[in-house]
Amino acid sequence: MITVNLEPDGEVIELHGTKTVIAVLNRLKLRPSMAIVARNDELLTSDRRLTPGETILVRKVTSAG
Amino acid sequence: MKCTRCKKLACVSLPSHHSGFCKDCYPLFFTRQVETAIRREKMFTHGERILVALSGGKDSLALMLELKLQGYDITGLHIDLGIPNSSNKARAKVENFCDMHDLTLQVLEMEKEGLPIPEVKAFINRPVCAVCGKVKRHHFNRIAREGGFDVLATGHNLDDEVARLFANTLRWDTAYLSDQGPMLPAAEGFVRKVKPLFRLTEFETANYAFLKGIEIHSAPCPYSGGASFTNHKKLWGELEHRSPGQKFQFYHGFLKRGKPAFPVQEETSGVTLTPCDECGSPTSVGTCSVCRIKATVRENKAKAEATQG
Repeated sequence: MITVNLEPDGEVIELHGTKTVIAVLNRLKLRPSMAIVARNDELLTSDRRLTPGETILVRKVTSAG
Repeated sequence: MKCTRCKKLACVSLPSHHSGFCKDCYPLFFTRQVETAIRREKMFTHGERILVALSGGKDSLALMLELKLQGYDITGLHIDLGIPNSSNKARAKVENFCDMHDLTLQVLEMEKEGLPIPEVKAFINRPVCAVCGKVKRHHFNRIAREGGFDVLATGHNLDDEVARLFANTLRWDTAYLSDQGPMLPAAEGFVRKVKPLFRLTEFETANYAFLKGIEIHSAPCPYSGGASFTNHKKLWGELEHRSPGQKFQFYHGFLKRGKPAFPVQEETSGVTLTPCDECGSPTSVGTCSVCRIKATVRENKAKAEATQG
């Protein structure tokens, strides 16, 4: 399971069966250029693999006013 | 993915540039894009005073930090819109950021100006985002003018510019198409306006802000639901995903080949500007639109209070 802290929504989402950043973005219906993804202080490109139990930040980049 | 520059592990992938960058090389890419924008569009020099509009979002704070790192003479301007549970948070981010980086900041409070945005929403029968934008532009220009600044810089990025161009094109709004661009020269009553981030997408500024440790105000404005620009950005996000580089081509194609057609038309249908009777800002009618909005809010608020009382 991967825990996602979704910003700016402020939601915490638990995803099962996702092993890569791109899989997480697909589940959240986001394109790679629509959000930055980070693990602790490290930015991750969409091809990076994730390990079960990890927590990541997904921050949408589109400003809405 | 490897960094295009040093071959270490990349942390940012940029399909539109056929590139990826590591955490050390990415800020160099960002800096060069800003340098290119300033140089090619002749935005400003190191001898000029620059007023930077700061909302507290990633773009304006990233711009402020980058201009500081490039050694420019900058002052920040934040407008506190007076929106409950929102404006105070944005203002705190801006103030903390400027304290942390030893940057000069001016804050204008709309409450003290007699035009807090909640009252605009309550008493003006027009979309609040349009009126808020107009009020902010008015004060940005006024403060830059009165403060003797040479130029006003905003954090508008490529996505903002593409969304605006798209909206203007959908309406074939020739007046807006005639003056859209990353550099608007000074004119009678107006300071020069520049957008040094116009070559960079929101994704690119978000990565820069993260890598630089900038604490941003990311919560959307509570009044902005359904804003058309947000929907246009989503459409363009899909186009860009299918065909990386489309945004840049659309916008730069307009600047090179589309825009030159519009000023000619505006010269024949343009209006003459004179100083506003009340505030001195340029206007095509005796009293400028912001002073008229302020008067309407005052009148409608008094009527509402009389009805309740």
